[in-house]
Amino acid sequence: MKRTVDVNIPLGPIHPCFKEPARLKCETRGERVIGAEVELGYMKKGIERIMKGRPWQEVMFLAERVCGICSVIHNMVFIEAIEKISGIEVPPRAALLRVIANELDRMQSHMLANFSYCYTIEHETLAMYLLDIREQVMDELERLTGARVTCAYIVPGGVRCDIRNEDRDTLSASLDRIEHDLHRYAKMFETGPMIALRSKGIGILTEESALQAHVVGPTARASGIAVDMRTNHPTYRKLNFAPVVRHGCDNYARVMVRFDELSASIGLIRQSLRALSPGVIRGGGICKAGTLRYSGEAPRGELTYSITTDEYGRVAEIQIQTPSIMNIEACCHYMIIGVDSIADVTSAFVSADPCIACTER
Amino acid sequence: MTEWLYEQDLVSQKYRILIAHEHDQLIRALASDLGVSVQELRRYMIEHIDMILLENIPARYKAAVAAGADADDPVARELGRDIFSRGIPLIPNQQMEEILKKIKERIEAGSPVPEAVAAGKAMVREVILR
Repeated sequence: MKRTVDVNIPLGPIHPCFKEPARLKCETRGERVIGAEVELGYMKKGIERIMKGRPWQEVMFLAERVCGICSVIHNMVFIEAIEKISGIEVPPRAALLRVIANELDRMQSHMLANFSYCYTIEHETLAMYLLDIREQVMDELERLTGARVTCAYIVPGGVRCDIRNEDRDTLSASLDRIEHDLHRYAKMFETGPMIALRSKGIGILTEESALQAHVVGPTARASGIAVDMRTNHPTYRKLNFAPVVRHGCDNYARVMVRFDELSASIGLIRQSLRALSPGVIRGGGICKAGTLRYSGEAPRGELTYSITTDEYGRVAEIQIQTPSIMNIEACCHYMIIGVDSIADVTSAFVSADPCIACTER
Repeated sequence: MTEWLYEQDLVSQKYRILIAHEHDQLIRALASDLGVSVQELRRYMIEHIDMILLENIPARYKAAVAAGADADDPVARELGRDIFSRGIPLIPNQQMEEILKKIKERIEAGSPVPEAVAAGKAMVREVILR
Protein backbone atom coordinates (compact mmCIF):
# COMPACT_ATOMS: atom_id res chain seq x y z
CA MET A 1 0.00 0.00 0.00
CA LYS A 2 1.50 3.35 -1.00
CA ARG A 3 1.41 5.86 1.82
CA THR A 4 3.06 9.15 2.68
CA VAL A 5 4.58 9.24 6.16
CA ASP A 6 6.82 11.53 8.22
CA VAL A 7 9.81 9.23 8.60
CA ASN A 8 10.03 5.65 7.46
CA ILE A 9 12.70 3.12 8.21
CA PRO A 10 12.75 -0.02 6.09
CA LEU A 11 14.34 -3.03 7.82
CA GLY A 12 15.32 -5.90 5.57
CA PRO A 13 14.73 -7.86 3.43
CA ILE A 14 18.39 -8.65 4.12
CA HIS A 15 19.26 -7.76 7.70
CA PRO A 16 22.02 -9.19 9.92
CA CYS A 17 19.50 -10.05 12.65
CA PHE A 18 16.95 -11.77 10.41
CA LYS A 19 17.47 -15.44 9.63
CA GLU A 20 15.31 -15.17 6.55
CA PRO A 21 14.25 -12.35 4.23
CA ALA A 22 11.30 -10.15 5.16
CA ARG A 23 10.86 -6.42 4.94
CA LEU A 24 9.45 -4.36 7.79
CA LYS A 25 8.51 -0.85 6.89
CA CYS A 26 8.44 1.05 10.18
CA GLU A 27 6.72 4.40 10.38
CA THR A 28 8.40 6.42 13.07
CA ARG A 29 8.06 9.67 14.94
CA GLY A 30 11.48 10.41 16.36
CA GLU A 31 12.68 7.08 17.76
CA ARG A 32 9.17 5.82 18.47
CA VAL A 33 7.59 3.35 16.07
CA ILE A 34 3.98 4.28 15.35
CA GLY A 35 3.16 1.78 12.64
CA ALA A 36 4.63 -1.05 10.64
CA GLU A 37 3.88 -2.89 7.46
CA VAL A 38 5.27 -6.28 6.41
CA GLU A 39 6.34 -7.14 2.92
CA LEU A 40 6.84 -10.79 2.07
CA GLY A 41 7.32 -12.75 -1.12
CA TYR A 42 11.11 -13.01 -1.21
CA MET A 43 11.12 -16.81 -0.92
CA LYS A 44 7.63 -17.99 -1.83
CA LYS A 45 7.73 -21.73 -2.55
CA GLY A 46 4.14 -22.41 -3.64
CA ILE A 47 4.45 -25.80 -1.96
CA GLU A 48 0.68 -26.22 -1.44
CA ARG A 49 0.19 -25.92 -5.18
CA ILE A 50 2.94 -28.51 -5.82
CA MET A 51 1.28 -30.89 -3.33
CA LYS A 52 -2.11 -30.90 -5.03
CA GLY A 53 -2.85 -34.02 -7.05
CA ARG A 54 0.16 -35.94 -5.73
CA PRO A 55 -0.01 -39.18 -3.72
CA TRP A 56 0.63 -39.01 0.04
CA GLN A 57 3.95 -40.83 -0.45
CA GLU A 58 5.25 -37.76 -2.29
CA VAL A 59 3.42 -35.15 -0.23
CA MET A 60 4.93 -36.38 3.06
CA PHE A 61 8.39 -35.45 1.75
CA LEU A 62 7.14 -32.10 0.45
CA ALA A 63 5.46 -31.33 3.81
CA GLU A 64 8.81 -31.64 5.58
CA ARG A 65 10.32 -29.19 3.16
CA VAL A 66 7.96 -26.39 4.17
CA CYS A 67 10.40 -25.57 6.97
CA GLY A 68 13.92 -26.77 7.60
CA ILE A 69 13.88 -25.88 11.29
CA CYS A 70 10.70 -27.68 12.34
CA SER A 71 10.49 -30.39 9.67
CA VAL A 72 9.52 -33.21 12.06
CA ILE A 73 6.24 -31.58 13.11
CA HIS A 74 5.20 -30.91 9.49
CA ASN A 75 5.83 -34.62 8.82
CA MET A 76 3.92 -35.59 11.98
CA VAL A 77 0.85 -33.40 11.43
CA PHE A 78 0.51 -34.43 7.77
CA ILE A 79 0.86 -38.14 8.55
CA GLU A 80 -1.47 -37.99 11.57
CA ALA A 81 -4.07 -36.21 9.41
CA ILE A 82 -3.81 -39.00 6.82
CA GLU A 83 -4.09 -41.60 9.60
CA LYS A 84 -7.18 -39.90 11.03
CA ILE A 85 -8.85 -39.78 7.59
CA SER A 86 -8.05 -43.45 6.96
CA GLY A 87 -8.63 -44.80 10.48
CA ILE A 88 -5.08 -46.16 10.79
CA GLU A 89 -3.94 -47.04 14.33
CA VAL A 90 -0.41 -46.40 15.61
CA PRO A 91 1.34 -48.97 17.86
CA PRO A 92 2.13 -47.58 21.36
CA ARG A 93 5.89 -47.89 20.89
CA ALA A 94 5.77 -45.91 17.63
CA ALA A 95 3.60 -43.23 19.28
CA LEU A 96 6.24 -42.72 21.98
CA LEU A 97 9.07 -42.68 19.43
CA ARG A 98 7.17 -39.95 17.59
CA VAL A 99 7.06 -37.91 20.81
CA ILE A 100 10.83 -38.35 21.26
CA ALA A 101 11.58 -37.20 17.68
CA ASN A 102 9.14 -34.31 17.97
CA GLU A 103 10.53 -33.09 21.29
CA LEU A 104 14.13 -33.31 20.06
CA ASP A 105 13.07 -31.21 17.08
CA ARG A 106 11.34 -28.72 19.39
CA MET A 107 14.47 -28.49 21.52
CA GLN A 108 16.76 -27.68 18.62
CA SER A 109 14.24 -25.13 17.30
CA HIS A 110 13.89 -23.38 20.68
CA MET A 111 17.66 -23.33 21.11
CA LEU A 112 18.06 -21.75 17.68
CA ALA A 113 15.35 -19.19 18.51
CA ASN A 114 17.02 -18.24 21.78
CA PHE A 115 20.39 -18.15 20.04
CA SER A 116 18.94 -15.68 17.51
CA TYR A 117 17.54 -13.52 20.28
CA CYS A 118 20.81 -13.45 22.24
CA TYR A 119 22.69 -12.68 19.04
CA THR A 120 20.28 -9.83 18.26
CA ILE A 121 20.78 -8.22 21.66
CA GLU A 122 24.56 -8.64 21.21
CA HIS A 123 25.06 -11.34 23.83
CA GLU A 124 27.13 -13.51 21.54
CA THR A 125 28.67 -15.61 24.31
CA LEU A 126 25.34 -17.01 25.45
CA ALA A 127 24.27 -17.29 21.81
CA MET A 128 27.26 -19.49 20.97
CA TYR A 129 26.78 -21.61 24.10
CA LEU A 130 23.21 -22.28 22.95
CA LEU A 131 24.34 -23.19 19.45
CA ASP A 132 26.84 -25.60 20.98
CA ILE A 133 24.21 -27.56 22.91
CA ARG A 134 21.89 -27.41 19.90
CA GLU A 135 24.49 -29.44 18.03
CA GLN A 136 24.25 -32.14 20.70
CA VAL A 137 20.47 -32.25 20.23
CA MET A 138 20.92 -32.45 16.45
CA ASP A 139 23.29 -35.40 16.94
CA GLU A 140 20.64 -37.19 19.01
CA LEU A 141 18.01 -36.48 16.37
CA GLU A 142 20.33 -37.89 13.72
CA ARG A 143 21.04 -40.97 15.83
CA LEU A 144 17.30 -41.64 16.21
CA THR A 145 16.03 -40.80 12.74
CA GLY A 146 19.07 -41.03 10.47
CA ALA A 147 19.10 -37.36 9.46
CA ARG A 148 19.52 -33.93 11.02
CA VAL A 149 16.68 -32.30 9.07
CA THR A 150 13.94 -33.59 6.75
CA CYS A 151 14.28 -37.05 8.28
CA ALA A 152 10.92 -38.51 7.06
CA TYR A 153 10.84 -40.50 10.31
CA ILE A 154 7.08 -40.64 10.72
CA VAL A 155 5.13 -42.79 8.25
CA PRO A 156 1.44 -43.78 8.25
CA GLY A 157 0.89 -46.39 10.97
CA GLY A 158 4.18 -45.89 12.79
CA VAL A 159 7.76 -44.74 12.42
CA ARG A 160 10.48 -45.66 9.97
CA CYS A 161 13.01 -47.23 12.37
CA ASP A 162 13.30 -48.31 16.00
CA ILE A 163 15.66 -46.97 18.67
CA ARG A 164 18.52 -49.30 19.58
CA ASN A 165 19.30 -50.02 23.23
CA GLU A 166 22.74 -48.42 23.04
CA ASP A 167 21.22 -45.29 21.41
CA ARG A 168 18.70 -45.15 24.22
CA ASP A 169 21.51 -45.04 26.79
CA THR A 170 23.42 -42.43 24.76
CA LEU A 171 20.27 -40.29 24.53
CA SER A 172 19.72 -40.49 28.28
CA ALA A 173 23.32 -39.51 28.99
CA SER A 174 23.12 -36.63 26.48
CA LEU A 175 19.92 -35.35 28.05
CA ASP A 176 21.62 -35.21 31.47
CA ARG A 177 24.49 -33.22 30.00
CA ILE A 178 22.22 -30.90 28.03
CA GLU A 179 19.98 -30.28 31.05
CA HIS A 180 22.96 -29.35 33.20
CA ASP A 181 24.25 -26.85 30.62
CA LEU A 182 20.80 -25.54 29.88
CA HIS A 183 20.15 -24.78 33.53
CA ARG A 184 23.35 -22.73 33.61
CA TYR A 185 22.49 -20.79 30.42
CA ALA A 186 18.92 -20.11 31.54
CA LYS A 187 20.33 -18.70 34.79
CA MET A 188 22.72 -16.50 32.78
CA PHE A 189 19.79 -15.13 30.82
CA GLU A 190 17.59 -14.75 33.89
CA THR A 191 20.13 -12.80 35.91
CA GLY A 192 22.00 -10.85 33.23
CA PRO A 193 21.49 -7.12 33.95
CA MET A 194 22.26 -6.05 30.37
CA ILE A 195 19.94 -8.74 29.02
CA ALA A 196 17.16 -7.44 31.27
CA LEU A 197 17.69 -3.90 29.96
CA ARG A 198 17.16 -5.08 26.39
CA SER A 199 14.37 -7.55 27.18
CA LYS A 200 12.15 -6.63 30.12
CA GLY A 201 9.24 -4.37 29.26
CA ILE A 202 10.17 -4.41 25.54
CA GLY A 203 7.86 -5.71 22.81
CA ILE A 204 4.74 -5.86 24.95
CA LEU A 205 1.95 -8.08 23.66
CA THR A 206 -0.99 -7.97 26.05
CA GLU A 207 -3.26 -10.96 26.54
CA GLU A 208 -6.11 -9.11 24.82
CA SER A 209 -4.03 -8.26 21.74
CA ALA A 210 -2.68 -11.80 21.65
CA LEU A 211 -6.20 -13.21 21.62
CA GLN A 212 -7.31 -10.80 18.94
CA ALA A 213 -4.40 -11.63 16.63
CA HIS A 214 -4.85 -15.37 17.33
CA VAL A 215 -1.27 -15.63 18.52
CA VAL A 216 -0.08 -19.18 19.14
CA GLY A 217 2.79 -21.13 20.68
CA PRO A 218 5.38 -19.72 23.08
CA THR A 219 4.45 -16.18 22.01
CA ALA A 220 0.87 -16.72 23.27
CA ARG A 221 2.00 -18.61 26.36
CA ALA A 222 4.30 -15.72 27.29
CA SER A 223 1.20 -13.48 27.25
CA GLY A 224 -0.62 -15.67 29.76
CA ILE A 225 -2.66 -17.77 27.30
CA ALA A 226 -2.51 -21.48 28.10
CA VAL A 227 -2.85 -22.73 24.54
CA ASP A 228 -0.92 -25.79 23.42
CA MET A 229 -2.16 -28.38 20.93
CA ARG A 230 -0.16 -31.07 22.73
CA THR A 231 -2.83 -31.03 25.46
CA ASN A 232 -5.26 -32.54 22.89
CA HIS A 233 -2.82 -35.18 21.61
CA PRO A 234 -3.51 -38.69 23.00
CA THR A 235 0.16 -39.65 23.56
CA TYR A 236 0.99 -36.38 25.30
CA ARG A 237 -2.10 -36.78 27.45
CA LYS A 238 -0.83 -40.15 28.65
CA LEU A 239 2.41 -38.40 29.61
CA ASN A 240 0.42 -35.83 31.66
CA PHE A 241 1.71 -32.91 29.64
CA ALA A 242 0.94 -29.40 30.94
CA PRO A 243 1.79 -26.20 29.01
CA VAL A 244 4.32 -23.66 30.29
CA VAL A 245 2.71 -20.25 30.81
CA ARG A 246 4.20 -16.91 31.82
CA HIS A 247 2.53 -13.54 32.24
CA GLY A 248 5.36 -11.12 31.43
CA CYS A 249 4.05 -10.34 27.89
CA ASP A 250 7.50 -9.03 26.87
CA ASN A 251 10.64 -10.25 25.05
CA TYR A 252 12.04 -11.62 28.29
CA ALA A 253 8.93 -13.73 28.97
CA ARG A 254 8.98 -15.16 25.44
CA VAL A 255 12.61 -16.26 25.69
CA MET A 256 12.10 -17.65 29.21
CA VAL A 257 9.03 -19.63 28.06
CA ARG A 258 11.30 -21.30 25.51
CA PHE A 259 13.92 -22.07 28.17
CA ASP A 260 11.18 -23.56 30.40
CA GLU A 261 9.82 -25.58 27.48
CA LEU A 262 13.28 -27.00 26.83
CA SER A 263 13.25 -28.46 30.34
CA ALA A 264 9.69 -29.71 29.77
CA SER A 265 10.79 -31.41 26.53
CA ILE A 266 13.67 -33.15 28.32
CA GLY A 267 11.15 -34.40 30.88
CA LEU A 268 8.82 -35.67 28.14
CA ILE A 269 11.64 -37.53 26.37
CA ARG A 270 12.73 -39.17 29.63
CA GLN A 271 9.13 -40.19 30.37
CA SER A 272 8.76 -41.62 26.86
CA LEU A 273 12.01 -43.58 27.15
CA ARG A 274 10.81 -45.05 30.45
CA ALA A 275 7.41 -45.91 28.99
CA LEU A 276 8.84 -47.62 25.88
CA SER A 277 7.77 -51.25 25.95
CA PRO A 278 8.79 -53.92 23.44
CA GLY A 279 6.54 -54.12 20.40
CA VAL A 280 6.13 -53.35 16.74
CA ILE A 281 6.84 -49.90 15.36
CA ARG A 282 4.57 -50.12 12.32
CA GLY A 283 0.92 -51.06 11.99
CA GLY A 284 -0.90 -51.39 8.73
CA GLY A 285 -3.68 -49.72 6.80
CA ILE A 286 -4.80 -48.21 3.54
CA CYS A 287 -5.07 -44.48 2.90
CA LYS A 288 -8.66 -43.54 2.11
CA ALA A 289 -10.67 -40.61 0.82
CA GLY A 290 -11.80 -37.89 3.20
CA THR A 291 -11.52 -34.32 4.36
CA LEU A 292 -9.96 -33.23 7.64
CA ARG A 293 -8.60 -30.21 9.45
CA TYR A 294 -5.92 -31.36 11.87
CA SER A 295 -3.62 -29.40 14.17
CA GLY A 296 -0.42 -30.17 16.03
CA GLU A 297 1.91 -28.11 18.19
CA ALA A 298 4.97 -27.00 16.25
CA PRO A 299 7.85 -25.31 18.12
CA ARG A 300 6.33 -21.95 17.16
CA GLY A 301 2.71 -22.88 17.85
CA GLU A 302 -0.37 -24.40 16.31
CA LEU A 303 0.25 -25.90 12.89
CA THR A 304 -2.89 -26.82 10.95
CA TYR A 305 -3.28 -28.91 7.83
CA SER A 306 -6.62 -28.85 6.01
CA ILE A 307 -6.53 -31.87 3.71
CA THR A 308 -8.87 -33.54 1.24
CA THR A 309 -7.75 -36.91 -0.12
CA ASP A 310 -9.27 -39.11 -2.81
CA GLU A 311 -9.80 -42.88 -2.81
CA TYR A 312 -6.31 -43.47 -4.24
CA GLY A 313 -4.61 -41.62 -1.37
CA ARG A 314 -3.86 -38.55 -3.49
CA VAL A 315 -4.05 -35.10 -1.98
CA ALA A 316 -6.86 -33.30 -3.80
CA GLU A 317 -6.86 -30.13 -1.69
CA ILE A 318 -4.47 -28.88 0.97
CA GLN A 319 -3.96 -25.71 2.95
CA ILE A 320 -1.30 -25.26 5.59
CA GLN A 321 -1.75 -22.69 8.33
CA THR A 322 1.62 -22.19 9.96
CA PRO A 323 2.09 -20.59 13.39
CA SER A 324 4.44 -17.87 12.17
CA ILE A 325 1.64 -16.27 10.14
CA MET A 326 -0.17 -15.31 13.32
CA ASN A 327 2.93 -14.54 15.34
CA ILE A 328 4.57 -12.27 12.75
CA GLU A 329 1.32 -10.38 12.30
CA ALA A 330 1.03 -9.82 16.06
CA CYS A 331 4.67 -8.85 16.23
CA CYS A 332 4.42 -6.20 13.53
CA HIS A 333 1.04 -4.79 14.45
CA TYR A 334 1.24 -4.91 18.26
CA MET A 335 4.66 -5.72 19.73
CA ILE A 336 6.79 -3.23 17.87
CA ILE A 337 4.23 -0.45 17.94
CA GLY A 338 5.28 2.03 20.60
CA VAL A 339 8.79 0.71 21.24
CA ASP A 340 10.99 3.60 22.30
CA SER A 341 13.93 2.79 20.10
CA ILE A 342 14.40 1.45 16.60
CA ALA A 343 17.04 -0.87 18.08
CA ASP A 344 14.24 -2.69 19.89
CA VAL A 345 12.34 -3.45 16.69
CA THR A 346 14.69 -6.26 15.68
CA SER A 347 14.81 -7.76 19.17
CA ALA A 348 11.00 -7.72 19.50
CA PHE A 349 10.67 -9.25 16.03
CA VAL A 350 13.21 -12.00 16.75
CA SER A 351 11.70 -12.72 20.20
CA ALA A 352 8.53 -13.96 18.46
CA ASP A 353 10.70 -16.54 16.61
CA PRO A 354 9.38 -15.65 13.16
CA CYS A 355 9.84 -18.28 10.48
CA ILE A 356 9.53 -16.81 7.03
CA ALA A 357 10.05 -20.22 5.37
CA CYS A 358 6.88 -21.46 7.11
CA THR A 359 4.96 -18.28 6.30
CA GLU A 360 5.97 -18.38 2.64
CA ARG A 361 5.14 -22.05 2.30
CA MET B 1 7.52 14.28 3.64
CA THR B 2 8.98 11.19 2.08
CA GLU B 3 7.71 8.20 0.21
CA TRP B 4 8.93 4.62 0.15
CA LEU B 5 12.00 4.44 -2.04
CA TYR B 6 11.65 0.81 -3.02
CA GLU B 7 7.90 0.50 -3.41
CA GLN B 8 7.00 -2.78 -5.03
CA ASP B 9 3.77 -3.64 -6.69
CA LEU B 10 2.44 -6.32 -4.35
CA VAL B 11 -0.99 -6.65 -5.98
CA SER B 12 -0.35 -10.00 -7.65
CA GLN B 13 1.19 -11.51 -4.52
CA LYS B 14 -1.65 -10.26 -2.32
CA TYR B 15 -4.15 -11.60 -4.84
CA ARG B 16 -2.53 -15.03 -4.64
CA ILE B 17 -2.94 -15.00 -0.87
CA LEU B 18 -6.62 -14.12 -1.23
CA ILE B 19 -7.42 -16.90 -3.69
CA ALA B 20 -6.07 -19.66 -1.41
CA HIS B 21 -8.74 -22.18 -0.45
CA GLU B 22 -9.63 -20.94 3.08
CA HIS B 23 -9.21 -17.27 2.23
CA ASP B 24 -11.45 -17.64 -0.79
CA GLN B 25 -14.21 -19.34 1.18
CA LEU B 26 -14.09 -16.66 3.88
CA ILE B 27 -14.01 -13.73 1.46
CA ARG B 28 -16.95 -15.10 -0.50
CA ALA B 29 -18.94 -15.43 2.73
CA LEU B 30 -18.02 -11.90 3.85
CA ALA B 31 -18.78 -10.41 0.44
CA SER B 32 -22.19 -12.02 0.39
CA ASP B 33 -22.87 -10.82 3.96
CA LEU B 34 -21.92 -7.24 3.05
CA GLY B 35 -23.61 -7.31 -0.35
CA VAL B 36 -20.50 -6.43 -2.35
CA SER B 37 -18.90 -8.38 -5.14
CA VAL B 38 -15.98 -10.68 -4.32
CA GLN B 39 -13.78 -8.68 -6.67
CA GLU B 40 -14.60 -5.40 -4.91
CA LEU B 41 -13.86 -6.84 -1.52
CA ARG B 42 -10.57 -8.32 -2.74
CA ARG B 43 -9.58 -4.96 -4.25
CA TYR B 44 -10.35 -3.16 -0.99
CA MET B 45 -8.35 -5.67 1.04
CA ILE B 46 -5.38 -5.55 -1.32
CA GLU B 47 -5.32 -1.76 -1.05
CA HIS B 48 -5.79 -1.48 2.71
CA ILE B 49 -4.24 -4.55 4.33
CA ASP B 50 -0.60 -5.64 4.35
CA MET B 51 0.56 -9.12 3.32
CA ILE B 52 0.94 -10.73 6.72
CA LEU B 53 -2.45 -9.51 7.91
CA LEU B 54 -4.00 -10.88 4.73
CA GLU B 55 -2.38 -14.25 5.45
CA ASN B 56 -3.78 -14.16 8.98
CA ILE B 57 -7.35 -13.24 8.09
CA PRO B 58 -9.02 -16.69 8.39
CA ALA B 59 -7.33 -17.25 11.78
CA ARG B 60 -8.37 -13.79 13.02
CA TYR B 61 -11.93 -14.37 11.85
CA LYS B 62 -12.09 -17.68 13.71
CA ALA B 63 -10.60 -16.07 16.82
CA ALA B 64 -13.19 -13.26 16.70
CA VAL B 65 -16.06 -15.72 16.27
CA ALA B 66 -14.71 -18.02 19.01
CA ALA B 67 -14.36 -15.06 21.37
CA GLY B 68 -18.09 -14.39 20.89
CA ALA B 69 -17.78 -11.06 19.10
CA ASP B 70 -20.30 -8.49 20.38
CA ALA B 71 -22.08 -11.08 22.50
CA ASP B 72 -23.41 -8.32 24.79
CA ASP B 73 -24.79 -6.11 22.01
CA PRO B 74 -27.21 -7.79 19.56
CA VAL B 75 -27.33 -4.83 17.16
CA ALA B 76 -23.53 -4.62 16.98
CA ARG B 77 -23.41 -8.39 16.46
CA GLU B 78 -25.89 -8.18 13.57
CA LEU B 79 -23.82 -5.42 12.02
CA GLY B 80 -20.57 -7.36 12.65
CA ARG B 81 -18.86 -4.52 14.49
CA ASP B 82 -16.14 -6.61 16.14
CA ILE B 83 -15.62 -8.84 13.13
CA PHE B 84 -15.29 -6.03 10.59
CA SER B 85 -13.35 -3.56 12.72
CA ARG B 86 -11.23 -5.69 15.09
CA GLY B 87 -11.20 -9.27 13.78
CA ILE B 88 -10.75 -8.33 10.15
CA PRO B 89 -9.85 -4.66 10.21
CA LEU B 90 -11.81 -3.57 7.16
CA ILE B 91 -13.36 -0.47 8.72
CA PRO B 92 -11.53 1.79 11.21
CA ASN B 93 -12.90 1.49 14.76
CA GLN B 94 -14.05 5.09 14.94
CA GLN B 95 -15.92 4.88 11.66
CA MET B 96 -17.61 1.65 12.73
CA GLU B 97 -18.69 3.23 16.03
CA GLU B 98 -20.22 6.14 14.09
CA ILE B 99 -22.16 3.72 11.88
CA LEU B 100 -23.37 1.81 14.94
CA LYS B 101 -24.43 5.06 16.60
CA LYS B 102 -26.48 6.02 13.54
CA ILE B 103 -28.18 2.62 13.51
CA LYS B 104 -29.07 2.85 17.18
CA GLU B 105 -30.53 6.31 16.62
CA ARG B 106 -32.69 4.88 13.84
CA ILE B 107 -33.88 2.07 16.09
CA GLU B 108 -34.68 4.55 18.85
CA ALA B 109 -36.64 6.61 16.28
CA GLY B 110 -38.84 3.56 15.65
CA SER B 111 -37.19 1.87 12.70
CA PRO B 112 -37.28 -1.98 12.83
CA VAL B 113 -33.94 -3.59 13.79
CA PRO B 114 -33.43 -5.59 10.53
CA GLU B 115 -34.06 -2.45 8.48
CA ALA B 116 -31.64 -0.37 10.57
CA VAL B 117 -28.98 -3.09 10.39
CA ALA B 118 -29.43 -3.28 6.60
CA ALA B 119 -28.89 0.49 6.47
CA GLY B 120 -25.74 0.03 8.57
CA LYS B 121 -24.46 -2.65 6.22
CA ALA B 122 -25.11 -0.25 3.33
CA MET B 123 -22.89 2.32 5.09
CA VAL B 124 -20.15 -0.31 5.52
CA ARG B 125 -20.57 -1.17 1.84
CA GLU B 126 -20.19 2.50 0.95
CA VAL B 127 -16.83 2.64 2.76
CA ILE B 128 -15.62 -0.43 0.86
CA LEU B 129 -16.82 0.76 -2.54
CA ARG B 130 -15.58 4.33 -2.07
